[in-house]
Amino acid sequence: MKSKHLTAVLATVVALTTVTACGTSGTTTNNSTSTAPSGGSGTSTTTLNIGLSADPPKLDPSLSSALVDREVMINIYDTLLQLGSDNQIKPDLAKSYTVSPDGKTYTFTLQQGVTFQDGTPFNAAAVKFNLERDMEKISPRHAALAAVASIDTPDDSTVVINLKKPFSPLLSILTGRTGMMVSPTAVQKEGKDFVNNPVGTGPFQFKERVKGDHITLVKNAHYWQSGEPKFDTLTYKIFTDPNVEYMNLQSGAVQIVDAVPAQQLQSLTQNSAYSVVNKPGFGYQGIWFNVKSGPFTNQYLREAVDQAINRQTVVDVVLKGEGTPGYSPFSASSPAYNASEDTPPTPDATKIKQLLTQGGQPNGFSFTMQIAASPVTAQMAQVIQSMLAQYGIKMEIQQLEFGTLLANSENGGFQAMQLGWSGRLDPDQNIYSFFYTGGPLNSANFSNPQVDQLLDKARTETAMDQRAQTYSQVMDILHQQAPYAFLYHQHNVIAYTNKLQGFEYVSDGLIRAGNLSMK
Amino acid sequence: MAYVVKRLLIMLPVLFIVSVLVFSLIHLIPGDPAQVILGQDATPSGLAALRAQLGLNEPLVMQYLHWVGRVLQGNLGHSLVDGTPVLNLILQRLPVTLELALGTFIVSLLVAFPLGILAAVYRGKFGDTVALFSSSLGLSVPPFWLGIILLLAFTVKIHLFPSSGYVPIWQNLGQNVWTMILPIAATGVREAAVLMRMLRSSLLDVLHQDYIRTARAKGLVGWLVIVRHALKNALIPVITTGGLQLAGLLGGLVITETVFSLPGFGSLLVQSIFSRDYTTIQGAALVIAVLVVVVNVLVDLVYGLVDPRIHFGKESA
Repeated sequence: MKSKHLTAVLATVVALTTVTACGTSGTTTNNSTSTAPSGGSGTSTTTLNIGLSADPPKLDPSLSSALVDREVMINIYDTLLQLGSDNQIKPDLAKSYTVSPDGKTYTFTLQQGVTFQDGTPFNAAAVKFNLERDMEKISPRHAALAAVASIDTPDDSTVVINLKKPFSPLLSILTGRTGMMVSPTAVQKEGKDFVNNPVGTGPFQFKERVKGDHITLVKNAHYWQSGEPKFDTLTYKIFTDPNVEYMNLQSGAVQIVDAVPAQQLQSLTQNSAYSVVNKPGFGYQGIWFNVKSGPFTNQYLREAVDQAINRQTVVDVVLKGEGTPGYSPFSASSPAYNASEDTPPTPDATKIKQLLTQGGQPNGFSFTMQIAASPVTAQMAQVIQSMLAQYGIKMEIQQLEFGTLLANSENGGFQAMQLGWSGRLDPDQNIYSFFYTGGPLNSANFSNPQVDQLLDKARTETAMDQRAQTYSQVMDILHQQAPYAFLYHQHNVIAYTNKLQGFEYVSDGLIRAGNLSMK
Repeated sequence: MAYVVKRLLIMLPVLFIVSVLVFSLIHLIPGDPAQVILGQDATPSGLAALRAQLGLNEPLVMQYLHWVGRVLQGNLGHSLVDGTPVLNLILQRLPVTLELALGTFIVSLLVAFPLGILAAVYRGKFGDTVALFSSSLGLSVPPFWLGIILLLAFTVKIHLFPSSGYVPIWQNLGQNVWTMILPIAATGVREAAVLMRMLRSSLLDVLHQDYIRTARAKGLVGWLVIVRHALKNALIPVITTGGLQLAGLLGGLVITETVFSLPGFGSLLVQSIFSRDYTTIQGAALVIAVLVVVVNVLVDLVYGLVDPRIHFGKESA
């Protein structure tokens, strides 16, 4: 019965995404035709309906591992620091901070008079409680705070974080889930059930949810930022099929969505009733090569595959503008972006032949690539398959459900695997664990002492230009050793009706609803 | 009555076998809940800690026995993902799917009966051709595709129905019906087509029997011959098919649920498989098994109502 369901679902998803027409990219908004929902079933000035492409599993920042959780959490919780629309780190619950010259002591001064939605005061003790909760082993935040030695609270509005060694990513980490502050009282009261009854200091408070269907938040009447929020109610509606989500935007059932099917991007961009944001996020997609077993223990064969893929074609054919070709973990939105390191090579037949010969397989070889069972990934794999075939490299495609894929990535049960990363603001969080010897996300089992040393060095450097230079040295080695073929940077795509005002795009791609209102 | 009790008792070994099968199969899929819960951010120490917390380190047999022990006390356990009681999840989702399945079933009966009778009685005539053509069409149109087309037509082009936003039946009956019309139409077409074909061919067999000729010969009116003599005898295979369809619908509506954004039972099961939420998968599978057995018992009882020659508990005809 189970496998029947699985195949049925996969079949539908594949079929659904092939139902519709085509188009190519654009960056922002407007002009020509306008087809907006006329009556607007559900368009109201007091309720905002937001379409989400997945059901957020956990609304507790300390336990969350799915990216989509943040969409809802960013409106329930405030963060200690926040990412501005100009990509700069700004104060939020912490109104200022200082870093000691040795980079080992961070002192934060907190906003005063802020309370959690359950009335608990927000203070230094609450911050310490939150950070210590994130440092527990079962928290996915654990690794991000591994450098913390101790947390002091000299007074109610001052928090001092003492580090074991300098760790420059800390500030950007505090703009994400690690920086989201939950009410200690609510955690103590609800225990394990806090995840289903989240309480923060944010503009909206949790009201109810039906798993797989919707999540309702209501206005936090005592929000500390004056004038916010403007809506009384936020309803997140879950659509597991992107075409269904798109239709619900058009029907007016939702006013803003977190994804647009690639085939629909162009027509929606040209529709003057909607605004479309389509910009690179912090993440990347690519292919892991298992360097410990199988054909890819051979560096030349890894390089041959890496060189044979034309990224521009992949992006044009498959993503239709919802991605940018890439060759590094750092997209144009990243503070460590380096255009020359991020520009992928154009396939050069002579060079690829030469690499194959050096690898002892002048006439090509065979391997299997595991991919997640999604229509976009499958299409991409087929495009790559045909590119490699030109050089006699025979790639078999094995589609796996995501849980299985993750398990294989963990235990090295693959030859090549398409697996990407959703991306974080700080460059360290997009490279360190992936290429450091024994790193938890190092699926290739890659190990290079020089890379390890450079990655450690970057963590201690405070100036971003300096760090960017160090990362560029890492990239030179990674390009040459090719444990991972970087393919592209996926875009954050957000579309909303033009009746909605106050939307401000931030590179993390989240929909912050505090300032949104309806015309 | 004794028959029903006996049939329901047979359910116990069925449930036992289903639970063992489901339990073994889900543990055969690579990946475990800890992995899926912690996702890509997982560290080995975090995984170990979470596995211990979720009780995944115990031997499988012990895990199964613990689970069975709780189920026997009426406790389906808690979701491994967020700790919600599995029973709550099921009670939240099951009514949606039951409504959709029953609605689909009723609509398909309402469509299949008149069309099936029409087609059989006017075999080879215009009515039959129309009925056969529509049923071929109904069979060949995939429900998800029809669903997408209905959504486009009636929620995007004409704002007649809501494109999402299920309202429970006990909250607002009118709105509930309004949200269920399109999904029921999308799934009902195919089911109606199957039933209609079944009824037509079964009626055609019966209409050639001697007793029909006799009934006609003794001067009974046409429709009375059809309803009282032919239809009753033609119903058994139709009931069998209908029962199988209903049982299939209870577990197989996930696609319609996805297209119409209905928080149904099918999508609960699929989501819990993706997240390796063992307790929820097991609970949901048990409920489906119970429902299928109950539907089968009901079908048997209906046989008896339709055909008095069928007796339960004794040597049956």
